[in-house]
Amino acid sequence: MSFFGRTWAILRKDLQAEWRTKQRLSPMIFFVLLVLLVFNFSFELGGAALREIGPGVLWSSYVFASLLSLGRSFADERENNAIDALTMAPGDRGAIYLGKMLGNLVFLLAIEMMSLPFFALFFNLSPGFFLLPLLAVFLLGSACLASVGTLFAAISNNMRLRELLLPLLLLPMVLPALISCVEATGLVLADSRSDALYPHLQMLGVYAVVFTVLSLMLFEYAIEE
Amino acid sequence: MRSTLFSSLVLTTMLIALGAIFLWVPTEQEMGIVQRIFYFHVPAAISSFIAFFLVFVGSVQYLRTRIDKWDHLAQGAAEMGVILALIVLITGPLWAKPIWGVYWRWEPRLTSMLITFTIYAAYLMVRDYEAHSSRGPRLGAILGILAFANVPLVYYAVDLWAADQQLHPPRNVELAPEMQYTKWICYGAFFLLLFRLLAQRMELARLETTVARLRLKLSDDA
Repeated sequence: MSFFGRTWAILRKDLQAEWRTKQRLSPMIFFVLLVLLVFNFSFELGGAALREIGPGVLWSSYVFASLLSLGRSFADERENNAIDALTMAPGDRGAIYLGKMLGNLVFLLAIEMMSLPFFALFFNLSPGFFLLPLLAVFLLGSACLASVGTLFAAISNNMRLRELLLPLLLLPMVLPALISCVEATGLVLADSRSDALYPHLQMLGVYAVVFTVLSLMLFEYAIEE
Repeated sequence: MRSTLFSSLVLTTMLIALGAIFLWVPTEQEMGIVQRIFYFHVPAAISSFIAFFLVFVGSVQYLRTRIDKWDHLAQGAAEMGVILALIVLITGPLWAKPIWGVYWRWEPRLTSMLITFTIYAAYLMVRDYEAHSSRGPRLGAILGILAFANVPLVYYAVDLWAADQQLHPPRNVELAPEMQYTKWICYGAFFLLLFRLLAQRMELARLETTVARLRLKLSDDA
């Protein structure tokens, strides 16, 4: 099988397993909903707060949800020692990383799209076409989270305190991407048709590419036993 | 013998640096006496980046060669880098209070340093947690490479985020000759101290590894 053939096989397996069990998506969407509620009571939000803290609230809940989702991405492989079978398969192990990473990306995007209506409702955001650039922000931002997050999930998978270590490793690492996600989302929500959005998207693109390539190279070392 | 000579050189340079900072260099006109923090703040910042670069070098070399020495370099340099970054983060607010009026501003370079500090602190936590496992060096090396790749991105993102908050002076400020000399002496003192402590830390790590191996051998024989 070619590299991309194996990548696709892993991605399809993850998506199919999720489609049948829904064990990650439904709890994560519920989780995002709960985080939005908690923020609402912490800050007594109203429509006016949308622009000031809306983007931050939105991305904070996505990051917390992604931590839960990423933690699961290798946990299933661990349970029946399936990871051993995966690593025994011939060929470049980078395909395992890429398949898992794309799977995580799809799950993150799904959560973001499905929880956006709740966000719009709670923050009194009227939908419109001006929200379209948000798709680019979501896509690039999720790629950033998934790129380095998938590698860290693989690393922390073998550790005893994995639930604790994953956030400790991931949060400081994704901060630069997160800053740009929040800023770009703020610009879109404010409906400012300025060029200010572009450098942030560029930043997210560079981050995603750099860390996907680095993770592809380093994944081999992360899962060797 | 060699390490004693090196240590006395470090001590001498540090004493000369302290003398230059507190007795010789003139007080800066606008900021007054507090500006003398500069001679600790800036060399510590530069030294911390040298240490983070050494983490990267050690990590790459360890993954390539699997020689313990490179891992000891990476771990020791990370510890030094975190301490130096902490010195920067402590002297920074002390200097900021009289000049900016507040201890902390979410100002680009301050924020970037804080994020860099948290990344390497997380590295040290993983190293500490995996100290007795054979995985530690390998996972540490992966993190050391990723962390270093992240440093320029942190600076770029934070600059983009709060460009109008920039309060640090540009890098090429004109200094009086005495200040210039004192600055170079302080750089020398910090670099020498960094390398002296790093050598000591690597030697300690080597001994630790040897003891662990011997202990393993003893328990195998028994």
